[in-house]
Amino acid sequence: MSRTMNILTVDLVDSGARYTLREVCERGGCHAELVIKMVSYGIVEPIAPAEGTPELQWEFDVSALARLQKALRLQRDLNINLAGLAMSLDLLDEVEIMRKEIAQLRQQLAQCYGGSSGH
Amino acid sequence: MDFKDYYAVLGVSESASPEEIKKAYRKQARKYHPDVSKEENADEKFKDVGEAYEVLKDPEKRAEYDQLRKYGARPDGSFEPPPGWKSASGFGGGGYTEADARQFSDFFEEIFGGGHQRGYSGGGFRQSMRMRGEDVHARLALFLEEVFQGCEKQVSFTVYESDAHGHAVPRQKTLKVKIPAGMREGQHLRLKGQGSPGAGGGDSGDLLLEIELAPHPTFAVEGRDILVTVPIAPWEAALGASVTVPTVGSKVNLKVPKGSSSGRKLRLKGKGFPGQHPGDQIVVLQVVMPEQHTPEAEKLYEQLAEAEKNFNPRSKLHV
Repeated sequence: MSRTMNILTVDLVDSGARYTLREVCERGGCHAELVIKMVSYGIVEPIAPAEGTPELQWEFDVSALARLQKALRLQRDLNINLAGLAMSLDLLDEVEIMRKEIAQLRQQLAQCYGGSSGH
Repeated sequence: MDFKDYYAVLGVSESASPEEIKKAYRKQARKYHPDVSKEENADEKFKDVGEAYEVLKDPEKRAEYDQLRKYGARPDGSFEPPPGWKSASGFGGGGYTEADARQFSDFFEEIFGGGHQRGYSGGGFRQSMRMRGEDVHARLALFLEEVFQGCEKQVSFTVYESDAHGHAVPRQKTLKVKIPAGMREGQHLRLKGQGSPGAGGGDSGDLLLEIELAPHPTFAVEGRDILVTVPIAPWEAALGASVTVPTVGSKVNLKVPKGSSSGRKLRLKGKGFPGQHPGDQIVVLQVVMPEQHTPEAEKLYEQLAEAEKNFNPRSKLHV
């Protein structure tokens, strides 16, 4: 299935990318109406828009795009409505934070008690 | 080719009703969704579940599958479709499906035909349409040292390319990526045009890399600060001492104040995450004993016990 490996050096890295509403729609394969609805449900957030900024001038960062694409996958695969989607994503975030915190606390415990096992 | 037992994948019996199959599918899809599940191979399992449901939800496909299951499966688990087998209900004829069939197994394709087409198959339409390639998401785990100093990393991921027939074909891609210093956990890097190629002259998608921190044997992370536990001897704790402590990528000398207890925290300013507002390194002291004392040392401890007999380390426990 996979062809030969293709190794090249890429140093063009861009962590401050900004996307317009139009661009996130294109990348997510969805309509602007859906994105606007998702924003109103708090599923994704545009970069701090000034009060009354027209939707067409919204901008999104890479994390928001990644979250939108995740939301679209969940909606497509699990048939979740927007309210359910908003809650699922919030809970998933919370679980992720707690997992990390547990891993970190375990690590600190292991350090304190000299256990080399990180379990 | 291995035979795929779709009933086992969904965990239902051969005689399951359509309602039971739907229910089982929904449950498994929730459990193994790659955006939700932390199980190993969740991706693979999720695909299997989708494929199983694609067949079992459709009465015609299910009947064909049942027939094959009865006659085609060999005792060793391998599978060969009967000679001259041709599906009447499959995807071969450009039939519409809402499922993302391009990732179905060889087994599926052998039975139901051209699964490796996008949902809206039908040739010419896709060829002539300009479409941007998909963005590819990947996670990249880095060690603290790599985050602090920047590094070069090899990243492997899968993109989908269209072949001459408009079929999406997976291709493994490997890139060497220069990671700048000072990345934070959860931050994304975008590699322009390194995702799936576009169709009909459309742009390629991007590769989006999310940075993760790999667990470190010595250091823990708390916000912008780095935590490290440093063991000291009882006499160092009692008398004060200058000890060498590790920092990320280096080491420094630290003055332990006289009379330090286990758990005392000392702050090394600016030795945490680099940046405009660098974090600190926090050293947590931990008093440790030698495994064995010499008779001389034991005598000294006896003298110490005598000299400090008014000290009650358990006063907080009221005993």
